[in-house]
Amino acid sequence: MTQKKKGKLTKVLDYLKHDDPFSKGVAFCPGCSLELLIRFIPQVLGNDIVITGTPSCSAPVLLGQNNQSWHSLSYFGTLMTGAAANATGLARYYRKAGIDNTVICFNGDGTAADIGFGNLAGAAERNEPFIYICYDNEGYMNTGIQKSATTPFGASTTTTPFGSASKGKNLRRMNLALKMAMHKIPYTATATMSDLGDLAKKLLKAKEAKERGFAFLHVFAPCPTGWGYAPENTIEVCRRAVKTNYFPLWEAENGKIRMTKTVKKPKPVSTYTELIKKFAHLDEADLQILQDDIDYEYCLLGGLSVLEAECQLPVSAED
Amino acid sequence: MNTKAKEKSQIKVITGNAAAAIGAQLARPDVVAAYPITPQTEIIEQISKFHANGEMDCELITVEGENSAMNAVMAASLAGGRVFTATSSWGLAFMYDAVLATSGARAPVVMVNVNRETPGIIAVSSGQQDMISTRDAGWIFLIAEDCQEILDLVLQAYRLAEDYDIQVPVMVHYDGFYLSYLSEVVDVPLQEDVDRFLSVLKDQPERTKLIPGGKLGCGSHGILGGYLELRHKHVCARESSKAKFEQIDKEYQEIFGRGYGGQIEEYRMDDADVVLVGSGSMCGTIKTVIDEKRDAGVKVGLLKIRMYRPFPSEVMVKALKGKKAIGVVDRSLCFGFKGGPIYTELKAFETQLGGSKMISFIDGIANTDITIVNVEQMIDATCDLAAGKDVREVTWVSYPEAQEDGGL
Repeated sequence: MTQKKKGKLTKVLDYLKHDDPFSKGVAFCPGCSLELLIRFIPQVLGNDIVITGTPSCSAPVLLGQNNQSWHSLSYFGTLMTGAAANATGLARYYRKAGIDNTVICFNGDGTAADIGFGNLAGAAERNEPFIYICYDNEGYMNTGIQKSATTPFGASTTTTPFGSASKGKNLRRMNLALKMAMHKIPYTATATMSDLGDLAKKLLKAKEAKERGFAFLHVFAPCPTGWGYAPENTIEVCRRAVKTNYFPLWEAENGKIRMTKTVKKPKPVSTYTELIKKFAHLDEADLQILQDDIDYEYCLLGGLSVLEAECQLPVSAED
Repeated sequence: MNTKAKEKSQIKVITGNAAAAIGAQLARPDVVAAYPITPQTEIIEQISKFHANGEMDCELITVEGENSAMNAVMAASLAGGRVFTATSSWGLAFMYDAVLATSGARAPVVMVNVNRETPGIIAVSSGQQDMISTRDAGWIFLIAEDCQEILDLVLQAYRLAEDYDIQVPVMVHYDGFYLSYLSEVVDVPLQEDVDRFLSVLKDQPERTKLIPGGKLGCGSHGILGGYLELRHKHVCARESSKAKFEQIDKEYQEIFGRGYGGQIEEYRMDDADVVLVGSGSMCGTIKTVIDEKRDAGVKVGLLKIRMYRPFPSEVMVKALKGKKAIGVVDRSLCFGFKGGPIYTELKAFETQLGGSKMISFIDGIANTDITIVNVEQMIDATCDLAAGKDVREVTWVSYPEAQEDGGL
């Protein structure tokens, strides 16, 4: 990977300056977006990162068993409750000992938005010097597809099943990235696997930003097994999530929001949900609720980006 | 006490919490996690003050909860740092998953736990129930009797936790309220002496550390033989910590002039017929009453537990063997058994004690004072037991209603 032929590479591959530290075959489901993501991160940021992770879809591959491992990265396998605190402890000790470091706290949405949200918010408030990456597959996929805070309205999961008295999850999803941006941390961004150049840029920006404090990446990571779509459609699901504004791509430096990709004519959300079985039971009226929520969130994002420009954050708060 | 050592220290009148904070400061930790809870709060306030005044060069993490406190210091410890944190009661319960993970990962964390009750009723009061509820977490537990011993145990705890052959986290316990806010004369060692005492740790092989690019996984998925191996090594390390603690206590005495006897302290035990077994601040009162009883011709002694986990069964059996009667004082409950937890544990060694009779006293829960009168009552009952009289197995000393008909 380190040696590249000039002139024949796409822009995305130019970002892959480091080796892939993972073995060729790893224990993910076919079509898993997570595999692409965890192979991508160290190839962009380097293999000298320290990753912390928790019991989740990533665990079987990141953890290893006994003294066997699927990869050659420094890895800290820990608990969902305190992942951000673990990363805090590592980053603070390295700082005290003068050890150059890039600590990546790598978690699913269950840890980030549910059980570990308290310590994620705590680390952001203290502006801890590490990168937090949430790969969001909208629920607890590893334990068998249960609902989380980021599970969208209408999605059928094993704890919000579609039935005669239920349309699936009857609640809005948490906008995790926006919450984190409101901490005014040095860097917040959303990204997904259909826009790898955008993801690579954001990873590098996060690495730069963690020199000033907390960096948060919210990566949309669809799951063919849990959501019910064909494995070969993973990238297409990502693409349509962006094109419908279901998952808009943006970044925020010290809370100042900026769209990194603007969709000129957003497609209706049905062009996204039609690929995915967990939405298959929704009728037009249900889809309209989801559409209204997407429109509202996108409008809010745009409004906030304007307001942030008008209301100047005090310089001292940016340091 | 060795007066020569005294010249190399300074005498202060400080609270138990201040003694713990100064102990931590003298150990020079790299990372400290701080979160308040009564009656521990003063410790982290003092450390924050040291930090703010440039008197403590550490990374101070003002976490948003105890769970994060333990997770932060566990990770910093596995990265190679010396760490400190302190908690109490519900705080210890809130960090329980990380407490288990820390010992399982063999992270040499040192934590102070200021003992407080943990029942469903929010009891802001003393009691060792928090300690008892976490005794099987795989940590080494040490218990201090007074403010001086708090400081001394914090320093000894680092030697034990970070010892290459041990690498097990250590919790230093002391009674909330009775010691946390009690001001006593404390002989504070000089930094250079503490540095010398801890310097042994620098000469040993370097422990495994999680460093960037180090190609090391901490907390991998342990299964079958791999897990069994790690668990067995964990148990072995804890067992070997008993002898190590005795050795550390001796070295401590050589440098600072204070030694406590290691895992247990024996007070007037040599010719004693009856013995009380206790731990923590109650031991001061018990010693006073024993002196009075001795003057009256009663052959009574005290066995003070300093190391509670691992359970110092060997030295306890050795010290208690052949005694006519033993009264065990518990400041906590052992749900599922009538007697107190330490009593119940000691019962497991009954056959090795050569016929010593045992009874259980439960007292000092929820700030009920273990008074001189209470201790006299316990000694009298234990003497009655030794004399072959009919004595009830379990006595709630400050709650006579428990002894009424139908009570335990």
